[in-house]
Amino acid sequence: MTDNGDRMIDEGGPVAPVAEATGILEPYEVFRQEKDGEPMRHGGNVMAPDAELALHYAREMFSRRGESVRLWVVRRADIGVLDDLDLLQPPLDRSFKKPGGYLMRDKLAAARGRAGTSKPKARQ
Amino acid sequence: MTTAVIALEPRVSAALAEFLLSMADDEFVIGFSDSEWTGIAPILEEDVAMSSIAQDELGHARALYELLATVLDDGRDADALAYDREPEAYRHARLLDHGRGDWATTIARRFLYDTADAARLASIGEGWAPLADLVAKIRREERYHVMHFTIWADRLARADGDARARFVAALEMLAPDASTVLAPPEGEAALLAVGILTRPMAEVAADWRTDVARTLGPLGIQLALEPAANSGPARTGHSDAFRWLWGEFTSVRRSEPGATW
Amino acid sequence: MTDPLAMDPVLLLPDRSARPWNEDLPQDERFALFEAHVTGGGKIEPGDWMPDEYRTAVLRFVEMHANSELMGVLPEREWIMRAPTLKRKLALTAKVQDEVGHAQLLYRVAEDLGKPREEMFDDLLAGKTKFHNVFHYPTRTWADIGIIAWLVDAAAIVAQQALRDSSYAPYARTMQKICWEESVHIMHGRDVVVTLMNGTDSQRAMVQEALDRWWGPLMQMHGPHSDRSKDRDLHWRIKAKTSEELRQEFLTIYVPRLLELGLRIPDPHLRYDKAAGEWRYTDPDWAELRTVVTNHGPMSQARLEFRRVNREATAWVRETILAEPRAVA
Repeated sequence: MTDNGDRMIDEGGPVAPVAEATGILEPYEVFRQEKDGEPMRHGGNVMAPDAELALHYAREMFSRRGESVRLWVVRRADIGVLDDLDLLQPPLDRSFKKPGGYLMRDKLAAARGRAGTSKPKARQ
Repeated sequence: MTTAVIALEPRVSAALAEFLLSMADDEFVIGFSDSEWTGIAPILEEDVAMSSIAQDELGHARALYELLATVLDDGRDADALAYDREPEAYRHARLLDHGRGDWATTIARRFLYDTADAARLASIGEGWAPLADLVAKIRREERYHVMHFTIWADRLARADGDARARFVAALEMLAPDASTVLAPPEGEAALLAVGILTRPMAEVAADWRTDVARTLGPLGIQLALEPAANSGPARTGHSDAFRWLWGEFTSVRRSEPGATW
Repeated sequence: MTDPLAMDPVLLLPDRSARPWNEDLPQDERFALFEAHVTGGGKIEPGDWMPDEYRTAVLRFVEMHANSELMGVLPEREWIMRAPTLKRKLALTAKVQDEVGHAQLLYRVAEDLGKPREEMFDDLLAGKTKFHNVFHYPTRTWADIGIIAWLVDAAAIVAQQALRDSSYAPYARTMQKICWEESVHIMHGRDVVVTLMNGTDSQRAMVQEALDRWWGPLMQMHGPHSDRSKDRDLHWRIKAKTSEELRQEFLTIYVPRLLELGLRIPDPHLRYDKAAGEWRYTDPDWAELRTVVTNHGPMSQARLEFRRVNREATAWVRETILAEPRAVA
C-alpha cells in the first residue's frame, strides 16, 4: 500500500510531474486514445489546481465509462501554439513539394506519340 | 456457485455470511452517503469524481450482496438483502453511522475508510474462490479511491486558513470510530482456519494504524486510532441519523412490497 | 490503382487568408467577412475574432444550457437516495453525474469565451441568467424519475442533436459528446417507465399521474414559435432548427411510444394532421413558461436557495484549494 511514508506508490499508477500544488484552478487540456494504435485526439479540458488532480479529473471526464485506453493531460499554459500563417502557409509557390505540382499528362501523351506506344493499363 | 458453498461447513459459511454482510453494508452505506455530494461538491470536476467513487462502492456492495445471497441461499436476492431489513439488522461499521458532514468530514472519513478497507481486502485469502476473485477486482478499483483521498488529505493538511483546522478536527472527531471497520469479525477463527482470512484482523488493524501514521505524521497530524475500551459494539446499535436514512432509502420499495421497479 | 504521378488535379495556390476576418481590417469589413463565413456554414474557434453580437449570443446560449444542466441535477438528486433497487440507484447516480459532467463541459466552453465560472454562478443565483422551465417543477414520485429521464431528456436530445452542427465549433463538439452520453439516459428512463407499466395497478396509475403533470412543461420546453427570419441565433447558425421544428420532431418520435404503453396523453386536441404533415395540439401556456423561467416556478426559489446554501458551505474549499484563476489581462 504505502511505501516508506510516501504517497501511494504502485506500478501502473498515473504519471504526473511533481510540481507544487498552487491551489489555483487552471485549464488542463486532455488528449485521449480510444484504442491501442490510434492517434491521441483532443477530448476537451478540465480545471484543476495541480497536475495530479488534473489526471484524476481527466479520467472522470474522458474515461469514466472506460472509453479511453490512454490519456495525456497537459497544462494549457505549457502548450506552445503556432498559428502564424506566414510560417504555416507561406505565400510563395511550393508546388514542387506536392504531387499536384507535377502535371505530366500532356508530356506523357507527347512521349507516347513519339514512341508509338499507348497508355499502359492501370496497375491493380 | 452453489457447489462451492456446499463445500463449506456450516460454521464457516455462517462466519462468511456475517463477514460478507459487514463488508457489503459498509460499501452500501458509504456509497449512498457520499452520493449525496452529487451536484453540490466544491467544484464540478470533483463532483464527477466523488460520484464515480460512490458508484464504485455501490457496485461493490451489489457484488458482495450477490455473493452473500449464494451463501445464505434463502431465496433473497441482492436487492432484498440491501433493502428489506430493519435498521438494527445492518452491520456497517460505526464509522459510517456519521453523516457525510461538510467536505472536511467527508475527506477525513474517506481517507480513514478507504485505507482501512484496502487493508481489509489485502487480508482476504484464497480460501473461497468466488470471494477471492471478486476481491481481486475490487482492489483494482479501490486503488483510485486511496490515491484520490490521499491527495485530498495532503492538500487539506497543507492548506492555508482554516482548511487544515477543519480537516484535523474532522479526523479527531472520527478517530474513535475509525477502527470499527477493522473490528475482528464474528467467527474469525473459522475464516482463518480455511484461509478466507490470512491474518487476524487485530494485526491488520495494527498495521493500518502504522500506515496512517506514516502518511499523517509528515503532515504534522497525530491521531489516536486505537478503539476506546468502552466504545460499545463496532457494528450494531446504529444511530438516529442512520435510522432516518433507512426511512428514506427504503421508502419507495416499502410503498409497494414485492413490486418490480 | 492509378499512378499518382499521372494525376491531373487542379492546383490552387495556398489561400493565405482562409480566415480573413482575423486580419487587421476595418470593423465593418471584418463583420461582413465573418458573417459570410458563418452563414455559409463555416465554423468559429475560440481564437477567432468575433463580432460582439456573435460572442454575446453564443455566450448567452451556452450559459443557459450550462445552467440548465446544473439545475437539472436537483429534481433527480433527491431520488438517488430513494431508488428502490441497486441497479436503479447506480443508474440514477450515473445519470445525474453525467448532468454534472455536461455542466462542466458547457461552463468550460463559456469560460473560454471569457466569462469566469464563479461569475456565471453568481448571475444564475441572482436570477440574471436563466435555466430551462422543466427544472423549476417538483418531482413527486418515483414515476416522475422515469418520465423525466425519458421524456425531458428526449426533448433535450432533439434540440441537442440539431446543435451538433453549431457554427461555434467548441459548442458543436461538446454537443456531440453530450448526445452520445444522453442516449443512455433515455434508455434508462424508458426502462423505468416500461417496468412500472408492467407492474401493479398503482404503479401504472403513478406513471399516468406523472405524465399528466409533466406534459404541459414538456410542450412548453422548446419555447414559443419563433419567426425564422427574425431569430438571431438561427441567423448566426448557433442553432439550426426552430422551436416548432424541434417540438414536432419530439412529438413524432415519442407520442407513439407513449401510446403503445397504454398511457393517455393529457391533451384532447393532440392529433397528427396528415394533410398538413404536422401535429396539432392545444396551444401551450406561454404565460406559464414566462412566469416559470423568470424564477417564479413552484421550485425555482427553493432550488436556487439550495444551490446558494451548498455553494457557501464549500466556499472555504475553493478559497484554499480550488481557487478561481486570477483574471487574465
